[in-house]
Amino acid sequence: MNAELRFHVEAYAEDLARRGVPRQEAARRARVEFGGIERVKEECREALGTRLLGEFIADVRYGLRQLRRNPGFTAVAVLTLALGIAANSTIFSWINSTILDPIPGVSRTSDLVSVMRGVRSEHPTPPFSYLDYRDLRDSNHSFSGLLAFHQDFMYLTGGDRSERIYGALTSANYFDVLGVRPILGRGFLPEEGQKPAFVAVISYALWQSHFGGDRSVVGKTIGVNLRSYTIVGVAPPGFQGCLPGLRQDVWIPLIMDRYVWGSNRPADRGIFWLNVFGRLKPGVSARQAEGDLNLIMRRIAQAHPKAHRGSPNQISLDPLWRSPFGVNVYLYKTLPLLLGLAMVLLLLTCANIANLLLVRSVGRRREFAIRLALGAGRGKVVRQLLVESLLLALAGGGIAMLITTWGAGTLQDFVPSTTLPLTLNGQADPRVLLITLAISLFTALLFGTLPAWRATLPSPAAVIKDEAGSIAGGFHKSRLAGGLVVGQISLSLLLLICAGLFIQSLERALHSDLGFDPKGVVLASYAPLPDHLKFGREVLAKVEAIPGVESATLADFSPLNFTVHTDYVEPEGYVPRPHESMEILRCVVGPNYFRTMKTALISGRGFTNGDAPGRRLVAIVNQAFVDRFWPGQDALGKQIGFRSRSLTVVGVAQNAKYRQISHAADPVIYVPMFQFDWSPVTVLARVRGDPRAFLFPVEQAIHEVDAGLPRGARFGSTPSPVFDVTTLESSMQLGTIFQRVAATFAGSFGFLALALATVGVYGVVAYATRQRTREIAVRMALGAERRDVLGLVLGQGLRLTLAGLAIGMAVSVAATRFLRGHLFGITTTDPLTFAGAGALLCLMALISCYIPAQRAVKVDPMAALRYE
Amino acid sequence: MDKELELLQGTLDMLILKAVSLGPLHGYGALLRIQQISKDRLEIQQGSLYPALYRLEHRGWITSEWGASENGRKAKYYRLTAAGQRQLQAETRKWNRMADVIAGILRATPEEL
Repeated sequence: MNAELRFHVEAYAEDLARRGVPRQEAARRARVEFGGIERVKEECREALGTRLLGEFIADVRYGLRQLRRNPGFTAVAVLTLALGIAANSTIFSWINSTILDPIPGVSRTSDLVSVMRGVRSEHPTPPFSYLDYRDLRDSNHSFSGLLAFHQDFMYLTGGDRSERIYGALTSANYFDVLGVRPILGRGFLPEEGQKPAFVAVISYALWQSHFGGDRSVVGKTIGVNLRSYTIVGVAPPGFQGCLPGLRQDVWIPLIMDRYVWGSNRPADRGIFWLNVFGRLKPGVSARQAEGDLNLIMRRIAQAHPKAHRGSPNQISLDPLWRSPFGVNVYLYKTLPLLLGLAMVLLLLTCANIANLLLVRSVGRRREFAIRLALGAGRGKVVRQLLVESLLLALAGGGIAMLITTWGAGTLQDFVPSTTLPLTLNGQADPRVLLITLAISLFTALLFGTLPAWRATLPSPAAVIKDEAGSIAGGFHKSRLAGGLVVGQISLSLLLLICAGLFIQSLERALHSDLGFDPKGVVLASYAPLPDHLKFGREVLAKVEAIPGVESATLADFSPLNFTVHTDYVEPEGYVPRPHESMEILRCVVGPNYFRTMKTALISGRGFTNGDAPGRRLVAIVNQAFVDRFWPGQDALGKQIGFRSRSLTVVGVAQNAKYRQISHAADPVIYVPMFQFDWSPVTVLARVRGDPRAFLFPVEQAIHEVDAGLPRGARFGSTPSPVFDVTTLESSMQLGTIFQRVAATFAGSFGFLALALATVGVYGVVAYATRQRTREIAVRMALGAERRDVLGLVLGQGLRLTLAGLAIGMAVSVAATRFLRGHLFGITTTDPLTFAGAGALLCLMALISCYIPAQRAVKVDPMAALRYE
Repeated sequence: MDKELELLQGTLDMLILKAVSLGPLHGYGALLRIQQISKDRLEIQQGSLYPALYRLEHRGWITSEWGASENGRKAKYYRLTAAGQRQLQAETRKWNRMADVIAGILRATPEEL
């Protein structure tokens, strides 16, 4: 347009000059008489724009007609695309609502960081004491605010039923640093961080469920752990605290520790119980802030060496999307990996559709030829074909969006029923919609361009030759289709191998030596009581009296459901390396624990009723503990410094996995429950027969003991809550969520890939064989056997399959390296998995070649030749 | 020479079709041809020419392709399509009828009523 208008103005200027107007004057006059050139351009663009729009609408109409004419093709293409796109948009919806939106209800999470002290691990314990936190908060120059919190189960008391919820003790600046404004009332006042005040902020959900959304709730009270707190605020809907993936419902100033938990942790510099999150000042990088905090921490550690012995003081900051606190530490590696697999699946889908389009375009050659002959430019025909692809992709994307609105919530389905408020709910929000649309458009280009370009190649000679039906047909004519099949097979192999690796990894983890026998164990937890030792003994006696219960015990945790705690130890004679963490797993267990769990004792004894208060303090360690601290030595009789006391080791137990099913067992120290008064408590009972039959009797037993208590000894005026009554096997599912998610989705992607590859090979071989009907007829007329023809067709399919497998193997060897760290008990290049996946694909490919081959040999040669 | 007449509303498209029907032209050429035939008695806004050309192309009455101009420069040439040919005939008929009617009205004398 520019060139055209410039040409006009210059040509006019030249004419004027020829008529004797001076050159400069001519140029000026030409411009003036032409009028405002920008305005003209604008008008031209308008005329052009409506033209493009008009043609686009025409293309869409024509495309819709074409697609309606081939309902079978359209349905297959749209459904395949929908699955491929939905795999991506669903996984993106999870990433969107976990990694990209780590703590809902909080804005500007990008300058929030979590503060870690010590070695980074996937399951860190709260790293700071209150006094350390206060020093860091008051002397740093990098944060506009540094908050601290301690999250734990709390018990709602005082109502007609008591129940377990998740809550947090927080610093007074908690809501201010997060930038969360309560919708009713206020957050905490600065003085509430210093002087005890019975105030609480409740979540929107709790406000709705327990107060019916009463707008005058501020000023009312709520009972938490047997005391009343005045509600001063209601958090906005969606806000669930700042720990990614774990919902909290009550917030209380942390200075109230004494009243909530009966301990006085804020006064002790050596008790690390707080998580610290901070908001960086504008312009301060995380690295700078890290340096700043490390400097302060070093000064603190020097000033208080005793409180920081055995715990490394190196501080590291993490953005919330990969913070070691909360669930993102698991998700930020798993989900992108799954998204990668979903993308491979989409690529595979595109190859499949491209092949379908190629085959179809051959049938439409006459149509294209006619359109080209009627004067449509090649560009116009290509555009027409792309519009058809776009329609397919958008239809697929639409269905995918429906699947995603349902699929977004399925992540939560992997969480077993538990009072741990784990929230993994994906959401199909506008951002997901936008991404789905973008994926659809991209997909259309991906699968539509090649066939459109190929279909409009100006090769009339080839068309004519083809119509005549040549003898030497076959794949070299559809080399492009063959190439696509090879690509499909190699991608399918990759997905199948990943599926195989993930599924076997989960299987092996589940059947690995856990160090305890999870079958036939019933769990039930109850709230801590004022006289909980006596209560515990009575509960044990009642439970053991149930017919069918072999043995029962108590513990402050249960295996593989994120409830195990840690503590600091000083093993006798062991000199820690500089910065070595002496924090290990600590399990508080009752008598008969090892018998009930079927965890073998290697030497010494288990805990008995004799390990009571006032007697010699004892402990049991596991083999990993001995290997780490006392390698090659006899552990029995050795001393362990523990909470400023000294415990004598009386037993060594075999290793057991309590934290991660896919990692080796950690060192553990077991301490007897009746010597250390600990809570909350879980009853573990080993039973004969189906453990589910014992759920109710065990719960009843606890209620009976509770009902027999005098009023004052009970949990408030109401029955003590009993919760998470379940089997150990079901509860353990919590510890394998991420492996199960990976195995489930990698597995279904593998299955889809296999189906797509089968359909792809079938489509191309069937088409090529149909093209060769005449050739085959001639061969058979000349005396070829059925066997020869079968071999001919199968051979072609096999050649493509083998080429695809070879490429796929090479790609897989390179790509599965990314799975390292996600697999358990299996290498990323496990030969059996590779061979199995290859064989399976090969078999499916042969079957899909056999059908057209069978059809080919059934053709009557005479009929085929006459038909031509 | 007579004073230049202003172009009647809606007649530019018809004139362009006519100009292009006499042989392929670039935009400037179409302008010159119309002026030449009208013996410079019509005043055509140069700027209004191009939107009209794009509009006509959009309706499929003319098509365009790039070619070399008389003095060897690149220029976009427009030619009439079959549809344009029909359109031009239709417009011409319509115009002639309209002109007759209007002229008839203007010629009318009291006696004829």
